[in-house]
Amino acid sequence: MAHASHSKSLPANLGAPAFVDGWKSRALMVGAIFLVIAVILAFLGQSQDPEHLGWDHFLRAWVLGLMLTFGFSVGGLALLMVQYCSGGKYGLLLRRPLEAMSRTLPLVFGYWVVTAVFMKKLYLWANFTSVSDTEAGVKAGLISEIQAHCLNFKRPMLNPVTYLWVSVLCFAIWGFYAWRLNTLALKRDAEGPETTPFWIKKFENVSGLGIVIYAFTITAASIYWVMSMDPTWFSTVYGLLYLVEHGFQVLALGIIVTLALSKAEPVKTILRQTEQHDLGKLAFAFVMLNIYLNFGQFLIIWSGNLPNEISWYLDRIRGHWGVIITLDFIFHWLVPFTMLLSRDIKRNKKRLTGVCEFMIFAVWVNLFWLIEPNFPDAARNLHFSWGILEYIAVPVAMTAFWIAYFCTRLKTRPLVQVNDPHLAEILEPEHAHA
Amino acid sequence: MPPREGTYGLLAEFDTPGDLVRAARQAHHDGWRRLDCYTPYPVEEAAEAIGFHRNKVPLCTLIGGLMGCAAMFSLETWISVLAYPLNFAGRPTYSWPAFVVPAYEWTILWAGLSAAFCMLALNGLPALYHPLFNAPNFRDGATTDKFFLCLEARDPKFDLAASRAYLESFAPVSVVEVEY
Repeated sequence: MAHASHSKSLPANLGAPAFVDGWKSRALMVGAIFLVIAVILAFLGQSQDPEHLGWDHFLRAWVLGLMLTFGFSVGGLALLMVQYCSGGKYGLLLRRPLEAMSRTLPLVFGYWVVTAVFMKKLYLWANFTSVSDTEAGVKAGLISEIQAHCLNFKRPMLNPVTYLWVSVLCFAIWGFYAWRLNTLALKRDAEGPETTPFWIKKFENVSGLGIVIYAFTITAASIYWVMSMDPTWFSTVYGLLYLVEHGFQVLALGIIVTLALSKAEPVKTILRQTEQHDLGKLAFAFVMLNIYLNFGQFLIIWSGNLPNEISWYLDRIRGHWGVIITLDFIFHWLVPFTMLLSRDIKRNKKRLTGVCEFMIFAVWVNLFWLIEPNFPDAARNLHFSWGILEYIAVPVAMTAFWIAYFCTRLKTRPLVQVNDPHLAEILEPEHAHA
Repeated sequence: MPPREGTYGLLAEFDTPGDLVRAARQAHHDGWRRLDCYTPYPVEEAAEAIGFHRNKVPLCTLIGGLMGCAAMFSLETWISVLAYPLNFAGRPTYSWPAFVVPAYEWTILWAGLSAAFCMLALNGLPALYHPLFNAPNFRDGATTDKFFLCLEARDPKFDLAASRAYLESFAPVSVVEVEY
């Protein structure tokens, strides 16, 4: 090729730069500080009249942290599989960070075990495991007739044993795919370029089925872990909402990590503005898809206006919750949408990083709006208590620990996949290909 | 207007976008302003090399989009509240959630149409005649696999012999003179 002489060459050392260790120690520090704050807040909340919900709020916020880090970990695995099937040069920038995200699954499993141990504090169905339980609950005024009916009707699915089995099965499936894709990727890099066509097909075949299975497992996990906090409500799009949210938050984090890594070799060499722009466009697509599904769910339930569906929204609109959902709409759609429309912002590292950080903040706001109104003290009644502050302290601590773990995973292998036909293309000057 | 005559410009042909961008960058650096690049697909670096500047298309698109949104939302509000107020399951006549989807679709439609028509209005398309099509290599290659740089005779630096020598210093495939 005539312009081959102008292409760059990879540096000898493809490992993660030294400053990743700095990220890790900073994350650990933040995690420790916020964990201490969270425990203090729990005691403050426990002593606060009339609710005494300090530790309850701690656990609810723990679920938020679980969903956030679970999104990064399993969402990273999902985007990795999608990327193997779709191809595209941007993937070369993201694959190693995504692999590192998928290998944080043990930590997420540990986070989940905590919610499983304390499930009675979080899920009504864990407290009322038989018809006689619900009858007694109605008589004692602990649950309503409707809740009792739903708990009895949904018991084949919503009971502790099924919950544990389904969750563990989901983790086993994600773990299997994370292990498979990660080991195959190293094997692929160890072999020569003549094997590339074989590996491309191989990864497509593993990932293609994996994406389908992921769609089922994410539906199951989101229903069990979050939706079932309110046993009366159901929505068939619920799993997809989390699926899209995974794309949203993983792309945001992936862009942040890639741009931060590009301050040093080897990512500095492979990051071109074209691919950065592509990543911004892809994030924009997920911003649109997210509002599309969320608004679609709302529009259908609003149109139907049926008592067994609409109350879920009324719990989350009335009693000042309307403020939160309005802010959620602004943070989750309006701001990223208007920002990512701009070509200049997508091509500017600093600004794109800023937008992506804001997107992750929006995911947190959205999860707060989804989780807290499930509980009778908060439904249709947004009010301040020490416990509410747990929603800041606990997820920040959990995410910080997750980031520290992610950094150690990132350090374990080279940041560039070398047995890939896109590598030669990404090293060429930008104007070589449209 | 009498037909224009004489030389339109000098057209250099390149095999790769990289060669074109380097030549265009140098020419712009050397003070050429009446020049243009022609490529079979968008090469953004070529546009940047010859001093691409911002235009009004994004603004047109934004205004078009906002107009579309306002038009459809007002239309729906007018129909539901004033013209034909109907009782749908006891909902208020001003039920904005139902208005969002068409309003959004019109935002996209108007933004898209505004962008397309604004682009045509600002860049002078459709043009029925362009002198460059007099060059056979341009006719054959500009939309398939060749990359062209044209130095136009309107540029004050233009001199037929000197400019040809200048272009040839970039080692193009060919340099041809294009008549009006």
